[in-house]
Amino acid sequence: MGFLAAAIAVGLAAVGAGVGNGLIVSKTIEGVARQPEARSTLQTIMFIGIALVEAIPIIAVVIAFMASAQ
Amino acid sequence: MSELQQSIRRQRMYLFYLLSIFVLGWGFTSAQSVFAGLILGTILSMCNHWLISRRMLRFNKAVDNDLKPPRLGTSTRIATAALAAIIALRNPEQFHMISTIVGLMTAYAVIMIDFVIQHFIKRMIRKEVK
Repeated sequence: MGFLAAAIAVGLAAVGAGVGNGLIVSKTIEGVARQPEARSTLQTIMFIGIALVEAIPIIAVVIAFMASAQ
Repeated sequence: MSELQQSIRRQRMYLFYLLSIFVLGWGFTSAQSVFAGLILGTILSMCNHWLISRRMLRFNKAVDNDLKPPRLGTSTRIATAALAAIIALRNPEQFHMISTIVGLMTAYAVIMIDFVIQHFIKRMIRKEVK
């Protein structure tokens, strides 16, 4: 059961991170294409967004390992 | 140097300051397993920060030159977190688990706090100009 819980946790977190990263990147590219002078600001915000989105799967991986170890 | 490169350099500096504080805590306090977990998590978090910044700079270069954007490398960073979890689970006497997780989140906390500080600084400069 622990392995199943770990697999579900990592899988769902990875799906969420994938969708989130995809949305962030697509909107940033769209913004840069529409407003090239705001490129620097948009890239910085994209960096912060990607970092925040990836915090969730990282915690999920750790929780999954803790669940599978028990 | 672009705004992104400047913020990456600043965040790296803050992470080194935090790591030095954790090393001092490990050396001079009795809670050695807690600080060892924090050091382990922060080192791997810095590795994650380096990976994400390198990928972002490469991504921006590709977007500027109308090339195909490279992958962002999420799996590598998740594998780094898994490595930290495995090390902490295998050696529970040396590394405290919760502090390892807190250490892994250090880079993200630093990124958020740095963004908030820079946002307020920019707003104050804009107000002074007006």
